[in-house]
Amino acid sequence: MPIKTWELDPNFRNEIMNEPGGEHLAACFQCSTCTLGCPITEIVSSYNPRKIIQMSLLGMREEVLSNPDLWVCLICQTCTARCPQDVVVSDVLSAIRRIAEKEEEAGKLKIESPRPLFDKAFLHQLEKYGRLYDIGLAKEYYPKKEGSFIKGMRAMMKDYKDFGMRMFKKRKMGPKAMFPEKIKRTDEVKKIFEKIGD
Amino acid sequence: MNGKKLAYYPGCPSAGTAVDQDMSTRAVFEKLGIELAEVEDWNCCGAAEAENPILVYALNARNLAIAEKEGLDIVTPCSICYYNLERSNIALKNDESLRAKMRDIDGSLDYKGGIKARHVLDVFVNEIGMEELKRKIEKKVNVKVAPYYGCYLGRPPVTAFDDPDDPILMDQLIELIGGECVDFSYMKTKCCGGPLMMTRADIAFEMAKNVLEAAKRAGADCIVLACPLCGMMLDAKQPDIEKALNIKIGMPVIYITQLLGLALGIDSKKLGLDKAAVDTKEIVGKVV
Repeated sequence: MPIKTWELDPNFRNEIMNEPGGEHLAACFQCSTCTLGCPITEIVSSYNPRKIIQMSLLGMREEVLSNPDLWVCLICQTCTARCPQDVVVSDVLSAIRRIAEKEEEAGKLKIESPRPLFDKAFLHQLEKYGRLYDIGLAKEYYPKKEGSFIKGMRAMMKDYKDFGMRMFKKRKMGPKAMFPEKIKRTDEVKKIFEKIGD
Repeated sequence: MNGKKLAYYPGCPSAGTAVDQDMSTRAVFEKLGIELAEVEDWNCCGAAEAENPILVYALNARNLAIAEKEGLDIVTPCSICYYNLERSNIALKNDESLRAKMRDIDGSLDYKGGIKARHVLDVFVNEIGMEELKRKIEKKVNVKVAPYYGCYLGRPPVTAFDDPDDPILMDQLIELIGGECVDFSYMKTKCCGGPLMMTRADIAFEMAKNVLEAAKRAGADCIVLACPLCGMMLDAKQPDIEKALNIKIGMPVIYITQLLGLALGIDSKKLGLDKAAVDTKEIVGKVV
């Protein structure tokens, strides 16, 4: 389908480049090295970071932000390591994801992937305790992902019952893992989140 | 490295799924005569979930500042922690305005750029050195190994300390202790799928399966790796992967610190080898 030039947003590239990590977007010269080396393309055939960058440079804001493939990047850095133009591709994609999240918060976009919910639940643990608290993370993430507390707990049990028993038997997780490992000066970490956000 | 002491950053998995990596790291450094002083009141590095670089820099500035006060370089056994610590270190060292921004957030983030962050593998090979390690080796571990490096040791370039396409530091250690590396070069640096475990388990399982099956096809007795997320995907979740994909693998997975510990003559229980989900008795049995 041809691009509708009248729908392009010429400011989109600046919007991305103003996000931390998005600065190098414009250096891309479309060689596709990022996509050719990407391990995700072997599993998700539509995945194409080169195309996401091209569409971003053209200003196809809506198409880019609603692309479900934004959320399957592993941040494995293969693309970044190989880019001849030093585009930090993983940081650029992460900058685009953060713009999509802001759009969703403003009610202008619906993100199907549960990844923003997971990242937020993860960071909430750090904000509260200074370290990751696995159970706290699961208790926040699963209900949000499934839409209700009961459904969330059911999904969590399905995913983690065997795993939990295995970790318990091997004494990797004992009664201590039930409680968060809280650092002493959580106020210092809280300040980081207050001033930067997540 | 300042004498025989390093600041130690265990990372969050050290309290749970990677307690064996933590145990073996501590035991190996003790045996090598290098003191590890745990970073006092350390916080999480942000892992792969903190996507805003400024947030990553702030979280890691606090840990770097604590170690800097002690005048010690930081060492960590976790590849993701290493990546976040060192990329923050480099960004902060080279940018006074960024350091000022950190100070404005809180005094505890006042890092001056005076230390380095290192991964344990880098310290073993490039700091302690092969000659010194060779002198301390007490046992031969006669094992066929698939050396699995994953993501953050050879890339991205800004923090890498090994080759991006064909890393060799673990290969060298494996050969030093009497092991043999199977042909695994095409799989060495592929991602294990870990970052998508909680949001796209189907993709994560497929990727982990590819690594496990490649090791099996190559005739390896075990996979050796250096990252707790890879460890969780390939070992702790291996039975879940087998069940979900209806396959049988049974591939033991151990940390490089555990393998080195065996060669240094450390007891396998002290190295946490009994904690692996896939039994490691056969590997321990190859220590001569």
